[in-house]
Amino acid sequence: MKIAATLFAIAVVGAAAFVQSGVYDVSATNQHLAPTYWLMEATMRRAVAQRAAQITVPPLDRPETIAVGLVLYRAQCVKCHGAPGVAPDPFALGMTPLPAPLSQTAREWQPAEIFWVVKYGLKMTGMPAWEFRLSDDAIWAVVAFINQLPRLSPREYARLTAPPAAPPAAPAAGVPLNAHADPVRGKTALQQYACVACHEIPGITGATARVGPPLGGIATRGLLGGILPNTPENMLRWLREPQAVAPPTAMPDLGVTERDARDMAAYLATLK
Amino acid sequence: MRLIAVLAVVALAACAEPPAALGGDPERGRLLLRQFGCGDCHVIPGVAVARGSVGPPLHGIARRVYLGGVIANTPESMARFIRAPQDADPRTGMPDLQVTEAHARDMVAYLYTLR
Repeated sequence: MKIAATLFAIAVVGAAAFVQSGVYDVSATNQHLAPTYWLMEATMRRAVAQRAAQITVPPLDRPETIAVGLVLYRAQCVKCHGAPGVAPDPFALGMTPLPAPLSQTAREWQPAEIFWVVKYGLKMTGMPAWEFRLSDDAIWAVVAFINQLPRLSPREYARLTAPPAAPPAAPAAGVPLNAHADPVRGKTALQQYACVACHEIPGITGATARVGPPLGGIATRGLLGGILPNTPENMLRWLREPQAVAPPTAMPDLGVTERDARDMAAYLATLK
Repeated sequence: MRLIAVLAVVALAACAEPPAALGGDPERGRLLLRQFGCGDCHVIPGVAVARGSVGPPLHGIARRVYLGGVIANTPESMARFIRAPQDADPRTGMPDLQVTEAHARDMVAYLYTLR
């Protein structure tokens, strides 16, 4: 009993010291440690599944409902989540956690779970609650459209949303081209440009997505995007303007600067 | 006791085999992936000689959202992509290997076990 009390006291004092010292890094440029990430992810998934189990799902395959969902999606969701072949807005790429790529979410989450998350939001993730902004019917329409995302190719999405949105503004000029490429900075850039939202990337916590191909071994991959020989020059082009190189690829232009692309390529070159 | 029952149900659910995609034969598909030389370009888990690195590795391909970066991944679209990759993207490096419909179904059945 005495031992338990002592241990508890030590834990409390330790926790207080940890908080008071300011040692914990709250920056959005540093991903959580792997165990923290796993714990939060698992807690969130269970919490959502548990609450969504009570929800009755209305029909989601009516074309009118899906069409309403598309309008709402373009107005409210695409900024952060992107769409097939469309990147999220620049600010969203700086978020930690990154807004989920919903074409993957729709394959792996139940519609009721997606409804719950849209309606109530997720604390400390940047996902807002839409409960006081959209009716339940409107939220179900959004869910109905998200439900279609995995079946929508980039070309089909472009057709649905024609005329296309204006192309992203030209990226600001980077640092001089002769700057040394820095793989460590490149690894951070791969998070900051949200590459991890779609690709499994060895060495980056939480980069386990399955939207595009895994990047393990990309250093020795023969082709980029299935079409370009994997040379250093082509890798830079591919990272900077995939839509110009390979329309209608699902990989969006993310406004990657020359310097950032070089650093990313330097990190990717270590993945043999 | 109740916990054990719940765990048992979970374990059973995890073991239950989902039906093969497109009604193909996954085991035969695995053989065909080898026979058609898919492994010359792709790493394919479970296919011993598949160690190629021309195209992307196929682990987790059942959960992949896009195929060839251009079409949405369903068992049907995967079968079409295997049979006529250049219909999806004329510039793709993936060659048309004259795969029959039946063979494509078996390949898809195997590839959809790679989660």
